[in-house]
Parts: sequence; C-alpha cells; structure tokens
Amino acid sequence: MSKDQFKTRLQIAKNKISKKNFYKKTQNSTSIGAAFKLSTELVSAVAVGTIIGFILDNTFDTKPWLIIIFFFVGVVAGIINVIRSAKKMQK
Amino acid sequence: MAANPMSQFEVYRIGPEIKVGAFDISFTNASLFMVISSLAILIIFNLGSKKNSLLPNKLQLLTELSYNFVSKMIGDTAGSKARPYFAFIFSLFMFVLFCNMFGMIPYTFTVTSHIIVTFMLATFIFIGVTIIGFIKHGFGYLKLFVPSGVPIVLLPLIVVIEIISYLSRPISLSVRLFANMMAGHTMMKVFGGFVISLGIVGGWLPLSFSVALTGLEILVAFLQAYVFAILTCIYLNDALNLHH
Repeated sequence: MSKDQFKTRLQIAKNKISKKNFYKKTQNSTSIGAAFKLSTELVSAVAVGTIIGFILDNTFDTKPWLIIIFFFVGVVAGIINVIRSAKKMQK
Repeated sequence: MAANPMSQFEVYRIGPEIKVGAFDISFTNASLFMVISSLAILIIFNLGSKKNSLLPNKLQLLTELSYNFVSKMIGDTAGSKARPYFAFIFSLFMFVLFCNMFGMIPYTFTVTSHIIVTFMLATFIFIGVTIIGFIKHGFGYLKLFVPSGVPIVLLPLIVVIEIISYLSRPISLSVRLFANMMAGHTMMKVFGGFVISLGIVGGWLPLSFSVALTGLEILVAFLQAYVFAILTCIYLNDALNLHH
C-alpha cells in the first residue's frame, strides 16, 4: 500500500516537472532579445559603411563616390550579419 | 519638469567643478548612479557569499542563482575555454542589470540611456576581444576576415564586407542597449504626462497603460542586460575558437 502511494506521488511529481519544462520552452522570452538583435545589426553595419566611406572621401578628395560605394557595401554587410545571426539562432 | 519627457536624461554636476586639462571630469548625477549601482552589487554579493550555510537564506540564494545563471550562459555560448573570463562577464552583466534596474525607480537616473556610456562599454569589450584573438591565434586571427571557399576575384569585396561587419559589432551592441532604455523611459514619461493633462476623467486609460509599460520595461531592463552579456560571450567565442 505504502509502496503504491509512493509510486503515484512520484508520478505526479514527475508530471509536474515535465510540465514546467514544457512551459519554459514555449515561453522563450529570449526571442524578443533576438528580434532587437537582428534589427540593430542591420542598421549598424550600414552606419559603419557610410562612416568609413565619408572618412575615405575626405582623405582622398573623391567627394561623392566612395560614400556611395561604401554605403552599398555596408548594406550587404548588414544583410550578411542578419543571415549569420539568424543561422546561429536556428542551431 | 514634467512637461518635457527628455528632461529625465539631463546630466548635471553634483558638487564642485573639476577640470583636468580640457576635460571636465566633475562628479555628475550619472557618475553618482554608477557608484550607487556598483556599491549595491558589492554589498549584495559580499553579504550573500559571506556565510555558506547548507540551507541558504534569500541573499545567498540570489547570489548562487545569479552565479549559476551567468556560468551556464558562458558554458552554453562560449564553451569551456571562456571560463577564465567569467569574472569579467559576470561583473559586466551585473553592472548593466543594476544600472537598468535602478533606472526603473522613480526620480532616479538611468545611466545606460546615454549612448556614450554603452558605447564605452562596447568599445572596451571590442578592443579586449580583438586583443585576446590576436594573443591566442597571432596573425592567424586575420583569417576571420577571409572566409574559406571564396573565389579570388570576389576576395577584395568580401574582405571589405567582413571588416565592416566586424567593426559594426560595438555599434550594434551599444545602440541596442541605449535605444531600448531611452525609448522605454521616454514612453513612460509621455504616458505619465497624459495622466496629468487628461485629469481624473480621462486619465485612467494612460495610467493603466503606464502600469503595463512599467512591467514591460522591467522585462526589457533584464533582457537587454542579458543580451549585452550573451553577445559579449559570442564575440569571445569567435575570438577563442576560430572556425571560418
């Protein structure tokens, strides 16, 4: 009798634990952090590219050209950043 | 004061003006809250780790929980090689977390809502990680900018893109924390202003919204500290285990 009681109690406790784990996985509050991460990564690479283009333009006196080129290179770098961190998240 | 939602971010001097050369290094309200949060961390963790009883009290439980949390985070993202840097990441996480959380108390100042603070933290991490990478791998660390399996023709373009992507790390790290904290606190102030201007008749709606926003802001304060620390771990992982 006492053995059965223990078994049922153990079963109940185990169920509780598995339920908790299930909730933890579904909640996943870090996904909000991931969303913030992706958006800033895209923008910051564009900013860095533009700043580099601006500095190089000033040093070589080629006013509009390098900033345009580096802006687009920055966009590409931003997209690559986003793809990379998205791949990292899926692992 | 309540009219302008941005006035909460003003930095003003406390005490006498101190100048070293052209730099103004006087003690401001920002430095006051940095000191307060570091002192709070020191006191809590000193008291929490003083008595190692088998049945922990609340403070010891808090200390052990945060230790486990950060240690698990480092183990998951950066592996066992990052263990020597535990102290740095732990103090970084705690500092950002306490600064964010102190900012949630009314009439306090949020240190992390200033880009210069977060940018200095991020730049420090960026330079440190780069130095660690060069120490561990020598000039082989530059392989990070040259992914394998790229045709020679595309190589110059790819290297430039990789360098920009590497340089964008401190900016994305700092802008994320700064923008989240500043946007949240501004929004709370704006809704608080609505409560006053709509009065007792219509003020209930923005008041309830303000309460909900406070909960969200506490979540964001924790989450941003977590993201800041976890990204530091990821960058550290890139520097320690080179695989490109």
